[in-house]
Amino acid sequence: MKKLSKQDLLHLYRSLIRTRKFDQLNIRLAAEGKLLTFYHSAHGHEAVGTGAAAVVRDDDYLFIHHRGHGLPYSIVRGIDPKSCVAEHMGKSTGWGGGITGFHAVDKEMGILSSAGTIGSGFVLSAGYGLAAKKNGRGQIAICFSGDGGVQRGQFHEAINLCAAWKLPVVFVVENNGMAWFTPNRDTTAVENVADLAKAYKVPAEIVDGMDILAVYRATEKAVELARNGGGPSLIECKTFRYRSHSEGRPDVSHFEPRSKEEIAAWMERDPIKLFEEKLVKDKVLTATLIETIAREADEEAVAAEKFSFDSPFPDPARLPHMVYAP
Amino acid sequence: MKELMYWNAISEAIAEEMARDDKVFVIGENVQESPFLATKGLVQKFGSDRVMDAPLSELAIAGATVGAAMAGYRPVCDLTFADFIYCAADEVLMKAAQQYFIHNGEVGVPCVFMGVAGGGFGNGPEHSRIPAAMVMHNPGLKLVLPSNPYDAKGLMKAAIRDNNPVCFFFHKKCMPMKQEIPDEEYIIPLGKAEIKRAGTDVTVVATSYMVNLALEAAKQLEGKVSSEIIDPRTLVPLDIDTIIESVKKTNRVVIIDEDTECCGVAAEIAQQIIERAFDYLDAPVSRLCAANSPIAGAAMEKYVIPQLPQVIKAIETAAGL
Ligand SMILES: Cc1ncc(C[n+]2csc(CCOP(=O)(O)OP(=O)(O)O)c2C)c(N)n1
Repeated sequence: MKKLSKQDLLHLYRSLIRTRKFDQLNIRLAAEGKLLTFYHSAHGHEAVGTGAAAVVRDDDYLFIHHRGHGLPYSIVRGIDPKSCVAEHMGKSTGWGGGITGFHAVDKEMGILSSAGTIGSGFVLSAGYGLAAKKNGRGQIAICFSGDGGVQRGQFHEAINLCAAWKLPVVFVVENNGMAWFTPNRDTTAVENVADLAKAYKVPAEIVDGMDILAVYRATEKAVELARNGGGPSLIECKTFRYRSHSEGRPDVSHFEPRSKEEIAAWMERDPIKLFEEKLVKDKVLTATLIETIAREADEEAVAAEKFSFDSPFPDPARLPHMVYAP
Repeated sequence: MKELMYWNAISEAIAEEMARDDKVFVIGENVQESPFLATKGLVQKFGSDRVMDAPLSELAIAGATVGAAMAGYRPVCDLTFADFIYCAADEVLMKAAQQYFIHNGEVGVPCVFMGVAGGGFGNGPEHSRIPAAMVMHNPGLKLVLPSNPYDAKGLMKAAIRDNNPVCFFFHKKCMPMKQEIPDEEYIIPLGKAEIKRAGTDVTVVATSYMVNLALEAAKQLEGKVSSEIIDPRTLVPLDIDTIIESVKKTNRVVIIDEDTECCGVAAEIAQQIIERAFDYLDAPVSRLCAANSPIAGAAMEKYVIPQLPQVIKAIETAAGL
């Protein structure tokens, strides 16, 4: 277990704040019609991606969940979030060169793909794990998904394969209880995704997804197991999405508005608020530092918007050359 | 008469068929609220036993559709995005398409696989396809591509009543369309093309949303080119006779389709024209389709999927200008 220094803790905190600020930026840009594609906010989910992705090495592999379209998983790893904004504005400075729509990719940092059709993440991650095992350099793969995603067959096929072959893959499930408009209590009889892992003899842990340190510690343990040849594990993070499934859509459960009380109750346990309170109590954060970090993140977001706006569109002449590798 | 939006026309068709036949039900992800609205309002009328919000499991949804259809029901399966047919490929392409054959013609698979298709939202390679040619390439499946609200309603009713699996891909860009819909019931039989505009210089066979671009192009070319716009409305069965008749009259033809060019819808229609009307052609059959590339996202989508200026150009070229 790594001892987290003051600097480490501040890095986590700053990453959470930046993730939320950039999420807010994308939300506003979506409302203003400036994103040329859809957007699924990470509001409420920030601690999961940030906490888990903080654990991995630069040469590990990540398959990201669609919440925040890459923000929680990349900011904490030092990837510049302006490339997310630029991609969504369709600009050549985006992380996919402005041709992907919404897909997050970063070859240098092992983000080899992100969900379009949900479910592929599980099986592709098995492939990343297979490569990692063959490489013999102690790399691992983390596959992020939602609780809806595990209802696809690929989850079961992948976790079975990873378990049988002891592949170094960590499945991090962001369980917010919903899949688009549908509450999962009505589409699965299994309350905890962790129970599914057990069926495949994969160790699984349930953690509070609003508690970034709990996510960090659970991931640390799973990653260590994977790096040392112990095979896959699953971490189920109980979390919540504050906003509608994607921007501009109704926020319903089946066809009725989601409960305002439920949303408010989860917001009481907001992951940023909880962590901030803890860091203040532990004297890691001060009121001035909180203000400085927030201001810097705001300034960064303003600059990213301008950067993206000012960036050129891709040259369409490139497109035919993007189809086949030379 | 009343005005209906495109999606409303679809949901009204499903509602009428559900009221008429209690074997009809809707199954799919999020169909009760319906992200693309085509099944919105049905749960309030028919309850959640007949409008079923299913797990995020395309294979289970499509497979259950096939199974229930073989056992006597008429499910309408909503795949959300038509692209997700790839996620349900085994059950749609191998099972739905071939069970009638495997059962020696004794057990049919009467169902509908619906999905919102095509470009317009800039969502990139996995949410912008119109997988028409792939469906055509799998005998046993029918394929409907409604280009306006009126057709969408009449064709959906026919699709539900058909004794075969029918893919019904409605187009994102048709969403804002509104049209007068008669109060009386009507059905548009599968396999009947419609001449959307009569003309004498060139035959334009267009599919799905491209019909609307072709009509706009024809309007802009008025006085210069007299275009005859044919919407096959269903690609399986294909009303080739209507197309051939028109080609015999105009001696020129261009096919405009939003699916990928290679081995595409246009290639098939072109070949059938060549086989049946070669001697009538004054120029090679031409086509305008999506480029042989994944559908690019955001601002680059328009360089992959045909847009109005290319449609105009294609019609002019086909007309020999
Ligand atoms: C194969 C596939 N089916 C359906 C969808 C449409 N879709 C996008 S997100 C989503 C819900 C996902 O739920 P979950 O995995 O729980 O993640 P959440 O959005 O709740 O964070 C659905 C149904 C998709 N993208 N891919």
